Amino acid sequence: MRNLSSLKKEFLRKWIKGLRKYNSQKKNMNLLERKKAIKLSADLAMASTKDKTTLWRKALFANTSTKIDDEQDMSTTSSTPQKKVIRKNSTNSYPLRKRITGRRKILRRNHTKERVEASFIAMRLVKKRTRKLKSLLPGGKFMDDSCLVDETLDYIESLKAQVEVMRCLVTSSELFINQP
Amino acid sequence: MEQTTLESIQFNEEIQGIMAPASETANSFTALLELPPTQVVELLHSPEITGKPPKPYPLTCDTGNLTFPSNTTARFSVLAGENKNSPEVKDEVPETEGGGCVSDPTIENKKSKGAKRKEREKKVKVSSKKIKSIGDENSGNGGDELPYVHVRVRRGQATDSHSLAERARREKINARMKLLQELVPGCNKISGTALVLDKIINHVQSLQHEVEILSMKLAAVNPIIDSNLESILATEGLSLMDSNFPATVAPVVWPETPHNGNRQQFQIPWQSDAFHQPLWGRGENNPNFMTPENSLLSYDSSANSVSLHSNQMKMEQ
Repeated sequence: MRNLSSLKKEFLRKWIKGLRKYNSQKKNMNLLERKKAIKLSADLAMASTKDKTTLWRKALFANTSTKIDDEQDMSTTSSTPQKKVIRKNSTNSYPLRKRITGRRKILRRNHTKERVEASFIAMRLVKKRTRKLKSLLPGGKFMDDSCLVDETLDYIESLKAQVEVMRCLVTSSELFINQP
Repeated sequence: MEQTTLESIQFNEEIQGIMAPASETANSFTALLELPPTQVVELLHSPEITGKPPKPYPLTCDTGNLTFPSNTTARFSVLAGENKNSPEVKDEVPETEGGGCVSDPTIENKKSKGAKRKEREKKVKVSSKKIKSIGDENSGNGGDELPYVHVRVRRGQATDSHSLAERARREKINARMKLLQELVPGCNKISGTALVLDKIINHVQSLQHEVEILSMKLAAVNPIIDSNLESILATEGLSLMDSNFPATVAPVVWPETPHNGNRQQFQIPWQSDAFHQPLWGRGENNPNFMTPENSLLSYDSSANSVSLHSNQMKMEQ
C-alpha cells in the first residue's frame, strides 16, 4: 500500500487522457470498439507510470502500440477484402497446429524415462507453473526466474490499482447516470 | 603492533601500486607523501569501504595534522574498525600469506564502486579457492563465514563457487517469493513453491479478468465515453490540467449526515445544480485539500455502505 493511491491517481489521469484522445478520433463506436478503446488506453496508462521501468511495462507498450496500429489499419481501410484475407489466414493455420501437436506427442513418447523422485516431481511442477506465469505476464517469456518474481510483484500491484480505479469509475458513472 | 605495521605497509604498497598509474609522480612510497593528507585519507577510505557509492568524500580530516607513517597505521586500524568487512579481513590476513594478502585490496578496489552481489560472489570464488589451497578448516567448521560474502556455508555443504552462487540466487528468489506471498491474499499459510505459485497465477488471472469485465461494464454504461466522463469530472470541478485545488476553494458547508440517512441525502445534492458544492463540502471535512481524483476514487465499490466517514477513511489510505 505504499504508493497505491498515487499510483491510482496517475493511472486515472493518464487513462482519461488516452480515452479523450481516442474519442476525438471516432465519434460513434459500438460496444466492442469502445471496450477495446477503454482497455487499450488503460493498458497504456498502466504501462507508462513513470517511476519504474520494468520489463512487462515495455512489453505492454509494444503490444498495445501494435494493437492500436492494427486497429487503425482495420478501421481506415475498406473492410471486406482485408477481412477475407484475415479469415483465410486464420483458417489455414488450423491444420498446421494439428500437425505440430501431433509431433509433440510423439516426441514425448520417445522421451527418456521420467524420474519419479520427489524432488524431480516438485521441480517439474514448479517449472510448469513458472511457464504458465510467464505466459500470463506481458513480456514474460524473456525473463529468468528472479526477474519473473520481481515483475509479477510489480504487475500485481499495478493491476490492483487499475482494478480499483475502474471499479470506482464504474460505480460513480452508474450513480451519475441513475440520478438525473 | 608489528603485525599491524606490516599489514599497513603492505596495504600502503598496494595502494601506492594502484595509485601509480593514476598519478604521474614517482613510483615510490614517497609518492603518497607528496599528496596532501586529506587525499591520502580518501585513498585509504575508498579501497576498504566497499558497497558504498563513489560519492565525493568531504575533505574533512578528523585529526588536525597527519604526520605520515604513524598516523596512517592508526588511521588504518580506525578504518578497519569502521568497515564491517574488517573482522573478516583481519581473519583472512593472518591465515593467508603475504601473497594472499596482495590480491584482496586490489579486488576490493575494483569492487569499490557499488559492490553488487555478483561481484561478491566472484570474490567468494577467489577467496574460496585460496582457502581450499591453504586448508579445509573452513568447510569443516559448522556455521562459519566466508570473507567478503554474507553467505553462510553450513556444515557438509560444498564451498564450490558454483553451488555458492546457486545458493545465493536461490535465496534471493525465495526472499522475493516471500514478498509475493504477502501480497497475494491467502498465501501465507501455504508452504511449498508450487502451490504458492498456483495461487499467484490464479490471482493474476482473476485480476486480468476483472479488468476485462470492468472495461466491458464501462463501455456498456457510458454510451459515449467522452461526454459522460467530462460531465462526471466537471461536477467534481476537475480540469485535467490542474489536478490540485487549493483548500480555500471549498467554502461550502455540507451538513454532517448521519450514517443511516446518508444515501438519500447523498442523492439529492447530486440532482441539484450546485453539483460541486457537496463534493467540496466533503472535502472540507478532510483537513488536507482533496484532489478531484481523490473524490472520484472515494466512490468506492461498496456503494451500499455510503457513510461519508468510511469513504473518507478509505481515501486517506
